[in-house]
Amino acid sequence: MKKKLMALILSAAMSATLLTGCGGGANDDVSQNDATGDNAADDGVQEIKWMFWDDFNATEDLISKGYADTIERFNKDYEGKYHVTPITTNLEEYYPKLNALVASEETPDVFIVSPGPNLTTYVDPGVAAPLDDYLAKDGWKDSFTSDAVFSQMTYDGKIYAVPLNTAAACAFYNTEMFENAGVEVPKTWDDMLEACKKLEAAGYTPVTISAGTAWCLSMVAGYLCEMEGVDLAALADGSASWEDGKLESAATKLTELSKYFQKTAAGDTNDVATANFYNEEAAILIQGSWAIAQINGSNPDFESKCGVFQFPGVERIIAKSDSLAMSATTKYPEACAAFMKYFTDETAQKYTAEVGGKIPVTNVEYDASVAPAQLSYVMDVFGNAKGTLGFYNESMPTTEAGAHFDDTMVSVFLGDMTPAEAAKDMEDFYSANCR
Amino acid sequence: MDKLLRNKKTIIFFLAPGLILFTVVLFIPICQSIYYSFCEYNGLAASKFIGLRNYKELLKDKSMMFALKNSLFFLVFSCVSQLIMGLFLAALLTNINKGRNLFKNIIYLPCVLSSTALGLLWMFIFSPKLGINQVLEKFGIEGPLWLMDTSGTIILPMWIIGFVALWQYVGQSMMLYMAQISGISKSLYEASYIDGCNRAKSFIYVTMPLIKPMVATAMSLNAIGALKFFDLIFNMTEGGPNHRTEVLATHLYQQGFKYNKYGYASAIGVVLIVLCLVVTGLINKFVKSENYEM
Amino acid sequence: MSDKAKSTSVKVGIYIFLILMAVIYIVPLLWVFIVSFKTNAEIFSAPFSLPKSFYLDNFTFAWTAGRLGKATLNSFIVCGITLILNLLIGSMAAFAIGRLRFKLAKPCLTFFLLGMMIPVHCVLIPLFTRFAKIGLSNSLLGLIIPYLTFSLPITVYIMTGFFESMPNELIESACIDGATIYDIFFKVALPLSRTGLFVTGLMTFVGNWNELLMAMVFISDEAKKTLPVSLSKFVGPYNTNYSQMFAAIIIAILPTIVVYCTFSNQIVDGLTAGAVKG
Repeated sequence: MKKKLMALILSAAMSATLLTGCGGGANDDVSQNDATGDNAADDGVQEIKWMFWDDFNATEDLISKGYADTIERFNKDYEGKYHVTPITTNLEEYYPKLNALVASEETPDVFIVSPGPNLTTYVDPGVAAPLDDYLAKDGWKDSFTSDAVFSQMTYDGKIYAVPLNTAAACAFYNTEMFENAGVEVPKTWDDMLEACKKLEAAGYTPVTISAGTAWCLSMVAGYLCEMEGVDLAALADGSASWEDGKLESAATKLTELSKYFQKTAAGDTNDVATANFYNEEAAILIQGSWAIAQINGSNPDFESKCGVFQFPGVERIIAKSDSLAMSATTKYPEACAAFMKYFTDETAQKYTAEVGGKIPVTNVEYDASVAPAQLSYVMDVFGNAKGTLGFYNESMPTTEAGAHFDDTMVSVFLGDMTPAEAAKDMEDFYSANCR
Repeated sequence: MDKLLRNKKTIIFFLAPGLILFTVVLFIPICQSIYYSFCEYNGLAASKFIGLRNYKELLKDKSMMFALKNSLFFLVFSCVSQLIMGLFLAALLTNINKGRNLFKNIIYLPCVLSSTALGLLWMFIFSPKLGINQVLEKFGIEGPLWLMDTSGTIILPMWIIGFVALWQYVGQSMMLYMAQISGISKSLYEASYIDGCNRAKSFIYVTMPLIKPMVATAMSLNAIGALKFFDLIFNMTEGGPNHRTEVLATHLYQQGFKYNKYGYASAIGVVLIVLCLVVTGLINKFVKSENYEM
Repeated sequence: MSDKAKSTSVKVGIYIFLILMAVIYIVPLLWVFIVSFKTNAEIFSAPFSLPKSFYLDNFTFAWTAGRLGKATLNSFIVCGITLILNLLIGSMAAFAIGRLRFKLAKPCLTFFLLGMMIPVHCVLIPLFTRFAKIGLSNSLLGLIIPYLTFSLPITVYIMTGFFESMPNELIESACIDGATIYDIFFKVALPLSRTGLFVTGLMTFVGNWNELLMAMVFISDEAKKTLPVSLSKFVGPYNTNYSQMFAAIIIAILPTIVVYCTFSNQIVDGLTAGAVKG
C-alpha cells in the first residue's frame, strides 16, 4: 500500500514538474533579482527588504506597477552598492505578516503603511524610525509640495513616514447624464439633493455607492460629519461628545441621500459600485481618486464623459497618502533613505500623475495632456479646497474606532440604528476605549 | 499477546514521534497564547500581565455576544444538518450500484476546493447586483438582501452561510459514514433479511448501531469545524454588516490582526478551545456507546 | 410484482434526488469556469451570460503573472511530504492509542484532540517567532512542519477509530503466527484500514493544499510561494482582478481534481474490499 502511495505522490509531483517546465520560461523576468538578492550581501552590497501589499506581476493597479519600475531603477542605478528585494503580500494578509516579522525581529527595512492609527502602531513601540535627519539632507524635504503633507506622519514633532502620493475622495459624475437631466454641478447640500431628484426624475440612478465595503459608505459619512463640523480631536480627548447632535444630523443627511442610492447598494462591493458607474448605470460615484485608473482601464470610452466635483457643502477635502516607514533596527539606514527617495524623485512623481492618476506629493512638473483627464479635475478640486482632512476611519485614535465608525454608518444606512442611537453608540465606544 | 501489546518500548516507539512533534510545535505555542490571554499585548511591544481583565472585557463586548451566538447556532445547525444529510446520502449511495462513484465524487468535490475560492464564488452568487437576484427578477420576484439582511434572531445571512457550509462539507461526513458502512460485514445484513427486515429496517437496526462510533467521530469533527469556522464567513461577509455575522474565529482574527489586540484575541482563542473541549466531551459522552464487534 | 414495482419507483426517486443534488453541486462550479473566460467588464455587466468570446488571456496571464507553475510545484512538494509523514506518524500514534495497552491512551487521544481545536490565528505569532529564531522561516521545511503538526490530530483521531473497530481475532491470529508488533502494524493493521488512510489522507492533503494564512506569513521568497498565496495575488489593494483570479482558481483546481480522482478510486477499492471481507 505504501508503495502505491509513494508512486502516486511521485507521479503527481512529476506531472507538476512537467507543467512548470512548460510555463517556466516566461515568468522569471522581474523577480530573477529576488532569488539572487540574498547572496549578494557578501560582496559589499547593502541588501535591504521592502514590504508591500500588492503583487508586482499580477497587479492591474497602475500605482503598484509604478512602484515596480521604481525598484528596478533603484537596483540598476545603485548596482554594486545597494540592492532592494520586495516582499509582496496582499492587503488582507499584510499586517498579520508585518506583525509576525516585527515580532521575530525581522522587520523589513522599509515598509508601506497607511497613515493614522496604523502608523501609530509601529511608531509607539519604536518599530519605525524618525526620518527628520534624512529629510533634512540635500533638500529632500523642500521638494515636497508643503510641510502639510507630513501632518499625519508627525509624532511629537518628528516625522516617521514619507508620503508617496495623495488620493482625494471626490464625487465623479457622468456629464452626459447631468446634461440630459438638466442638472448643474451641485455646490451645496440642498443642490445635491435637488440634483439627485432631477436625475431620478430623468430615469437615472443618481448615486452608486458600496455599503458592502463599509469604508466606501463611511467616506460619504465622513464628508457629512465635516459638513456638520464634527471635531475629531475634541472627541478623542473628551472635550466634545458624539451626542452633541452633530453626528446625529450627519447621519440623518446620510439617510436622506441614501434614498438616491442604487437599489443594490447594501450588498454591492467596491468593485461593483465602481462598475455601475463606468458601465453608465448611475450618474454619481463617490470614491477615492485611485478609481480613475480602474474606470479608464475598464471602459476607455468613458474618460471623456467623466467629470469630477468636490463633495458639496464642505470646504476641505478628504485625502489619503500611501507612505513609507523605515525600520528602527535596519542595518543600512542610508540605503533605505536612498531607496525611499526614489519614490519621490521626479520620474516616480511624474509617473504618479501621468499614469497612476494620483496627486504627486512633490512640486513636479508633469504633462497634463498625457495624464488621465480626470486627474486635472481632481487637481482643481484639490487646489480649490481649503485644506485636507484624513479619511475618517484613519483619523480616529485606533483602527478599531475607525472600523466601528464605518460599521455604525452601515447600520444607519440599513435602518438598524436611528441616527440618535448611532451617536450614542459612538459615544459609548469612545468613552470605553479611546479616552 | 497481551505482553506484546503492553511492551513499553513499542508504545514509546509508536507514540513518540507524533507526541514530540505535537508538543513542540503546537502545544507550547498554545500555552504561550494562553499566557498572552492574561496580558495586554499587541504583538509588537513587550507584553504586560493584566490578570483577568481581557476576560472581563469579553463579557462587555457586543461583537463577542454576536460571535458567540452565531458560533453556537452554527454548531447546532451544522451538527444536525450534517448528521442527517451525511447519513442520508451515505445510505442512498451505498444502496445504489450504477453511478455511485459519480455522485459520490460530485458531492465530495467542494471539500477538495479552497474555501476561500468557494466563499468568493458564493459571495458573487448572493450579491444583489450580480447573482441570483438577477435571475429571480426575470420571474418577477424581488430577492432579499441575502448577505445583508439583519432582521430576526438568527439573521438570514447566517442561514445562508450555514447552507453553503453544509453544501461544502457534507461530502466529508458522507465519506466517513460510507467508509464505516463498507466495513460492516455482509453476513449481518443477510441475517437481518432472513429475520424479515427490508432495506430501510436493516439500515436502522444493523447499520445505525454499528456506525455509532463513527457518528461520534464525524460529529466531533463537525462540531470543532463549526466552532473554528472562518474561511467562508471571512470571504462572504467579513463578519458584517456591523458584526452581525461575526463568529468566534473571525472576531479573533479581527481583534488580533486588524486591531493588534493580540492578548485580547488570545482570550477569545481560549474561550474557543474551552467550548470545543466541552462540546466534544458531550458528544462523546452521549453518542458513543459500547463498541460492537463487526 | 408490486414489491418489484415499488422498489423500481424507489430507485427512480433516489436517482432523481441524486441528480438534483448533482445540479446544485455542479452549477456554481460551472459558473466559475464560464466566468474565467470573461473580461472584468463583462463579469459586472452580464454575470450570467455565456462569454462573448473565449478570452484565453486570463489564463495565460494568470499562469505567468501568478507564477502558478512554480507555485504548483511548491504546493506538491509541501503537501506530498506532509501527507506521507502525516499518515505514517499519525497512524503509528493512532495504533498505539487504539491497540496497544497502556493507561494513558485516553488522555493521549484527548491531548491530540486538543490540536484540532486550536484556531491557527492563535498560535501564528508564537509559532512564527520560534521558527524565525531557528532559521526555519522562509523555507518549505518551515511550512511542512506546522502543516504536518496541524494534520496529525485529525489523522490520529480518525485512525484510532479505525484501529479500534478492527476485529481482535486478526491480531490474535497474527500473534499466534509469531508476528512482531511491527509486522502486525505494517502488514495487518495498516492494510486493513486502507479506507481510513485514504479518507484522512485526502482530508489533510486538501486542507494543506488550500491553506493560505500560514503560507502567506511564513514564506516571503517569491520562488517558495505556494498555490493559495499565488491565487491571492489577484486581490489588489483597491480593486480585485476577478476574471484573472477565477482563471487562476480553475488552474489551481485541476491538479486537486486529478489527485482527488486517483484517491477516490482507491477509496472505492477499499469499499468493495470491505464488502467482500464479510
